[in-house]
Amino acid sequence: MEYVVGVLLPQLLHGVVFGAALGLLALGLTVIFGLLGVMNFAHGELFMFGAYAGIAVIGVTQSFWVALIAAPLLVAAIGALTEVATLRPLYRREPLYGLIMTFGLALAFREGARQLFGGDMRRILPPIEGSIPLLGMTYPRYRLFLLAFSSLLLLAIWLFFTRTRAGIIVRAAVQDAEMLDGLGVNVPRVFTLTFAGSAALAALAGLLLAPVFTVYPQMGVEMILLAFIVVILGGMGSMGGSVIAAFVIGIAQSLLTLWMNPQRVAIAIFGIMIIVLIVRPRGFFGREGVLE
Amino acid sequence: MRNRSLVAVLASSALLAWLAAPADAQKVVKIGDLGSKVGVFEGYGKYQTMAIQLAVDELNAKGGVLGHKIEIISEDDETKPAPAVRKAEKLILQDDVKLLIGAVSSGATMAVMDVSKKHKTIHWNSVSCAEFMRTTKFHKYYFSNQPDSRMQANGLAKYMVEKMGKRVYIFYTDYAMGQSDGRQFKTALEKLGGEVVGVAGAPLDTKDFSPWFGAINQSNPDVLFVAFAGTDSLRLMTQLHSFGMTKKYKLAGIDCFLLQQDLPAIAEPMEGFVQLAHYSPFNPDKNMQAFNAKFKQKFGTDANIMAGAYDAVLFWAAAAEKVKSFDSDKIAEAQEGMCLENTHIGRQCIRKEDHQVVMDMHLYQVKGGKNLPIATLAGKDTIGEPMVGRDPVEGFTWEIKKK
Amino acid sequence: MAVVFAALAALPLTPWMSKYYMLLAFDALLFGAVAMSLDLLMGYTGLVSFGHAAFFGLGAYSTAVLLERGVLSIWLCLGLAIVVVTAYALMVSYFATSRRGIYFALLTLIFAEVVYTFFRYTQTFGGSDGIQGLPSFQLLPGLAVDTPVRIYYLVLAYLLLAYVACRVLVGSHFGQVLVAIRENEDRVRFLGYNVQRYKMGVCLISAVLTGLAGALYPGRAAYATPDLLHWSISGEFIIMVMIGGLGTLAGPILGGAFFILLQEKVSSYVQWYSIVVGLVLVLIVLFIPRGLLGFRHAFRRRAGQQAH
Repeated sequence: MEYVVGVLLPQLLHGVVFGAALGLLALGLTVIFGLLGVMNFAHGELFMFGAYAGIAVIGVTQSFWVALIAAPLLVAAIGALTEVATLRPLYRREPLYGLIMTFGLALAFREGARQLFGGDMRRILPPIEGSIPLLGMTYPRYRLFLLAFSSLLLLAIWLFFTRTRAGIIVRAAVQDAEMLDGLGVNVPRVFTLTFAGSAALAALAGLLLAPVFTVYPQMGVEMILLAFIVVILGGMGSMGGSVIAAFVIGIAQSLLTLWMNPQRVAIAIFGIMIIVLIVRPRGFFGREGVLE
Repeated sequence: MRNRSLVAVLASSALLAWLAAPADAQKVVKIGDLGSKVGVFEGYGKYQTMAIQLAVDELNAKGGVLGHKIEIISEDDETKPAPAVRKAEKLILQDDVKLLIGAVSSGATMAVMDVSKKHKTIHWNSVSCAEFMRTTKFHKYYFSNQPDSRMQANGLAKYMVEKMGKRVYIFYTDYAMGQSDGRQFKTALEKLGGEVVGVAGAPLDTKDFSPWFGAINQSNPDVLFVAFAGTDSLRLMTQLHSFGMTKKYKLAGIDCFLLQQDLPAIAEPMEGFVQLAHYSPFNPDKNMQAFNAKFKQKFGTDANIMAGAYDAVLFWAAAAEKVKSFDSDKIAEAQEGMCLENTHIGRQCIRKEDHQVVMDMHLYQVKGGKNLPIATLAGKDTIGEPMVGRDPVEGFTWEIKKK
Repeated sequence: MAVVFAALAALPLTPWMSKYYMLLAFDALLFGAVAMSLDLLMGYTGLVSFGHAAFFGLGAYSTAVLLERGVLSIWLCLGLAIVVVTAYALMVSYFATSRRGIYFALLTLIFAEVVYTFFRYTQTFGGSDGIQGLPSFQLLPGLAVDTPVRIYYLVLAYLLLAYVACRVLVGSHFGQVLVAIRENEDRVRFLGYNVQRYKMGVCLISAVLTGLAGALYPGRAAYATPDLLHWSISGEFIIMVMIGGLGTLAGPILGGAFFILLQEKVSSYVQWYSIVVGLVLVLIVLFIPRGLLGFRHAFRRRAGQQAH
């Protein structure tokens, strides 16, 4: 019993906390893919920009809360600019080009961040200090906040996509982009806004995780692969799928660490992904025909 | 297509021709400064460069070495063995350095040792602490004034077992350096009657250490011994602190865990942390203070354990002057058994058998963000016997002996 | 093309060819060869492999493991590399080619990532430090490839063989089917060809060529590290092909060589380098002769002549 409470549950909690932030990241990625047909290799860098934008804003305003609002907006702007300048011309082409192009962008962004902010690690102090006794161990309050905030945000996004007109249109478009034209919607604008929105989500994830993981130019590189896996697992283009898959991966990763050498866990996760891709390429909830 | 390829070939040729520029006319001798200039160990690399700079400027002010002006060529090894080897080759083959100082990461240093051995270049190291450099990987051109993991274990383990607690959990960074520390400390602690209640390794550059905390808490140690360095240490201590573990357990670690410069930022998590080191700007020893003063005057900041690189240049220069040549074999021979009085801690002597500097060191405890000395350790007690060519970990096992 | 090879063969004889430049030239030619083999996949067949570093790294580790244990024959090293890489490539290509679209890119990426993670965290292979301090391999007992000049000629010989092999392949019926697959896969299928088998075939050939190149690498570097397996290396291979020109053989060789030379020279100013590379890639994708369409024209043009 002590094991369950003292070790298992906290580990589960780690997984859920991480999964929530990962969900934000993956959601943006899957929306971009579904709508724009582009697998955004630079998504990890948008995540990283979110953290750095946070540092910049905090440097000026001394407030994490202001950064929480301002940083995603800044990154959304960067996202919009990028989309208009580089991605728009590619929509008619095969998705492979988007992959290669975003790979190049990722390189440039990563190095650019290193130039602007320096290569060493930066810290963002958690806005909420201290820890509370929870499940027989002391759990940092900030991580609990992270979980709560991310969950609320995901809920809000879900509401947006199911209850608002704009949201329903975008969601339908993610399933079937061609239909948008028929509705008389300004397609390029929707694309740009959606890209900007997903960039904002990535930035939020980055900023929220920053006090835990610290900030450095490579931080996106490690997350992008995980995000890809989540998106594929959940079903490319399925928003609900990617959120659920994010939690699954987060928890799996966390729990597996208990029983396996933490390094092997990565291999196990990849293994899961490969098996899913082979057996059911559309993932949990993906639409048939995306990869088949 | 043919035109394009022709242009490309011409362009490349022009590029290469530009690379082969004629050398300096003035009498110059070059030394190589190889280390991590970016990334997890950036601080160490930076301070290594500064320490070397200080030594070089002092020597050049007195006319250089054998009438040659010393020039430093700094390269970044990205904290990985492969780039380290490439850069070392570049420094030795293209820049023709007579002295190579580096690297920071033990893995990189060991890889570079193959290069320095092959090309017979004097190779000094002042920070890598894996135990293989002066044992299985040792070669005649290699010299070190960094206490390696064996020396650290010899010095610190006794204090830990006697004054801090018998139950120790060893948490290390999972590559050459950390593994080495883990091995040496486990061996030393168990030999002295301590109980190692658990060991675990986390990969270099781990973002989140919390997956390992459950196991640490479960094994209920008295002391948490941590073998990490650079930004990993920063992250680890922050996370340990946020889970309340820095107050729950006594803390001990390796000498390069954190540079003094990084301590004030995490003073609270680090409070009470014990480590062995050969230098601290807060040690009242007059030699250290004198060195710190001149370092501070030049760079505007306190010195730290990277000051060893300063001595490396001095030893090499002194040896060169003695044999009136830059020939590596002669310098290597001259450096064996050599003693200098003006190093950053006063007198240091290089032991002949394994080219390791014998130096008195101290145990330090962090109080209020400063490393303050709490005990002195004689050099001869910590250095251990020379084990050139022998495996320092024969018979070692990671197994936890359950009591 | 023969002229170029002759010039390359004469390179070590020029006055300012120091040891250092010889090694640089080695790198340039080796990675040029890899880029060429990748182009068989990318340019000719239209399959983008984001996991080519795995083939390269597996080859390197094969050699390293043998050299570490005192098996110095280069032929054994190459042989092991072929075996290992073929086994891996068979598995990956089978699954990767079974579905369409970016599936291939993603699967090759993930498989390569597994290989990377495996080697990075397995101590038997040296963990994150890899296998260091390797001796030189030998062509024959007593004839070790231990000077920069020798290893240079070795890679030149390899490049020549690889180039010839690719030429033959591209000019053959097999090669034409590959191009047809790139242009319109369904039509080829309707014509009765087993498309997957062709894709697997070219993937295997490309993999083995890359793996052989990888097997040669420890001869120059005296190590094999997990960094060789990282997906950023796969990305670099792709960049080399894109710089050089999809759908040609000599193009990627030049692209690879140019990339290496640029990297080495500019990496003293490490800062700007990646930004430039990234932006170059972006620009290439945006503006290069209409992407896939562009070199189809080039290909048509060349099909007429028999030019190099």
